[in-house]
Amino acid sequence: MSPTSTAADRRLLFAGALFATLLLLAWLSHGRGIIRDDPQRNIVIPQQLLMPLTLQAAYNEEEIWFRYRWPAERPHIAMDMLRFDGQHWQRHGTSPVGQDPDGLYEDRLTMLVDDGRVAEFRLFGGYITAHGGQRFMSDAVDAANVRAHPHLGATLGASDVRKYLPATRQAPHDWDALVDADTLARQRQAGYFLDLWHWRAHRSNPVGMADDQHVAEYRLNDSGRGTFSSNQDSDTGLPHFMFDPSLGQPALRWSEITTTTDFDSRYFLSRDQAVPFDPQHPWQVGDTLPRLLLQHADGSRGAIRVVGSARWQDGHWELVLARALDTGFPLEDKILHDQGSYDLAVAVHRDASGSRWHYVSLPFQLGLGRDATLRADRFAGSAPDWSQRSSLELTLFYPGQVTYASLLSRRHAGAKAMRQGIPARARHSEQQLAHYAVEGEFRQQITRQWLWTLSAGLLLIVGFAATLFSLLPRPARSTS
Amino acid sequence: MSAYHALLSHFPVALWITATLIIVWRSLSAATLAQAAARLLPLLLLWAALMGLITFSAGLLIWPLEAVSASPLARNHLLAASWTLAYWVLLLALCWRGGNLIWHGSWRLLMPALALIGVTLLGVTGALGGHLIGNPTMIGSLLRALGWEIYTTFYLPGWMLVLTLAGALLFLGLAWLWRPRPTTTTRGGPQP
Repeated sequence: MSPTSTAADRRLLFAGALFATLLLLAWLSHGRGIIRDDPQRNIVIPQQLLMPLTLQAAYNEEEIWFRYRWPAERPHIAMDMLRFDGQHWQRHGTSPVGQDPDGLYEDRLTMLVDDGRVAEFRLFGGYITAHGGQRFMSDAVDAANVRAHPHLGATLGASDVRKYLPATRQAPHDWDALVDADTLARQRQAGYFLDLWHWRAHRSNPVGMADDQHVAEYRLNDSGRGTFSSNQDSDTGLPHFMFDPSLGQPALRWSEITTTTDFDSRYFLSRDQAVPFDPQHPWQVGDTLPRLLLQHADGSRGAIRVVGSARWQDGHWELVLARALDTGFPLEDKILHDQGSYDLAVAVHRDASGSRWHYVSLPFQLGLGRDATLRADRFAGSAPDWSQRSSLELTLFYPGQVTYASLLSRRHAGAKAMRQGIPARARHSEQQLAHYAVEGEFRQQITRQWLWTLSAGLLLIVGFAATLFSLLPRPARSTS
Repeated sequence: MSAYHALLSHFPVALWITATLIIVWRSLSAATLAQAAARLLPLLLLWAALMGLITFSAGLLIWPLEAVSASPLARNHLLAASWTLAYWVLLLALCWRGGNLIWHGSWRLLMPALALIGVTLLGVTGALGGHLIGNPTMIGSLLRALGWEIYTTFYLPGWMLVLTLAGALLFLGLAWLWRPRPTTTTRGGPQP
């Protein structure tokens, strides 16, 4: 081998090794540097994007029962507390951005139910209720604008935008452009609303109930009394009630309430253990009182009960909810019938997260006595034998800030398929949707970085090509 | 257009895979048939590049660019397709310009390695396309196991971009530094 060819070989080896090293580094480092929490923009990405949930259902002449089981690292059963700081009762544990730093936010399970009259729900599930401007979105509407709205503010008393159905607006993305009241009323008569079962580990579970709500032009409470009311005087900031001193200490200790996982401990305040607040009591720094007073719900709002005791054990919540097939409130509840087919979607809040930081399922079908994704069969006696029932294993995913309008826009490659009525499940897995949701929260930054990456890669190929060209052996010129 | 893109993609894929086989074969063998096949490479790769360009263009017509740039999977497909096309054009140029000389010495080892990188890029591009139109393969799982979740956009962090651009500039600098200069020798070049 000549000295010239040895030098050329070394150069070739160097070029190849450099190219391979850059490829390897690119592979190892990709996807870093952009996705990070940004609470100022209401962006907090959960550590886990997926979680499982097992669901079973059964019914008898009167009621339908659902059994839910899902994993959670620990139960979060306390929230919304008033902590005495020596002068004032400070509020802690309200709906946080992401996780509450003190672990003070309740676990929740919600289920949307439809009877086929909200046609888009069967295809796209909860996505149809997600719109720009909603609370805790990066573009959340200012509270003053909502309060000034003639229907949302003046009639409903809302100060934020929450779930709503697309046809309740003149255009789905216009949170403030509601159709007129007469149209809303006729939509309701036509069954254009979603029933919302809402179990709360702090605000409803201790009294053995789930909150019964529905989604139409807003996330609305059913008629009747709810399971909780405020325990704080809005003028003085003082609690209305405290724990009955004859039953123990009149207040909780902050250090205990933030870590409690004991269902038998006092972590909530209900009417039967409350007495009027005594401002003269020698309150100590760290004394804590629940800001919510629990009570039994009634009317349509109190239609859903917890069967037995919903408890967290061995890393899992296990919950059974029951409701009358016909609650007698057809304008707020979806009435269920033997041999009926219904559309459901389930969501879970855990890890001390609230608001939009939840895990949701794609929609699926429930059949009462007939085949469906989840089949419920009749049971006799006082309770179903769950060990004999089929179960549905669901994968729940973090939905991010994906809105219905964005899914129907030119930005979504599947918008045309959506208009053709192709369901989300036919094109996307839960894993895919979760990752898309996260990337959607950093769309501009990722698109810019991706373009740079594409260009840098091309330039690298060009540079590598130029080097290889320079090293190509040339046929030597003959002098003879 | 999606169906036509899928139809068209068969041509560059088949041609590039055939080219890979020929490159590997030629690097291992100096038989007459292998040499004859290698002489076809420039034409084969030119045809593949043209079909690749047509397929690439057809792919851009499936969805609005706005949608492509908003979907992680579509971004990845576009990025992989761009790199694949550019990379195989590089191999075309090498085969064209290098002629019989690239089957000697270190080049004989380098060429199959370059072709294998190209066919890997091609496989990733095709697999991502399959995922996009709803025909996922296990390649997605393989890439996931190797550290890339294909439902997330492939992008480089800032420091790696700088390193990549620096690498590209270094390559260009080396190309200039190592550019061939006229030399004279007595009769005879490398022998096959």
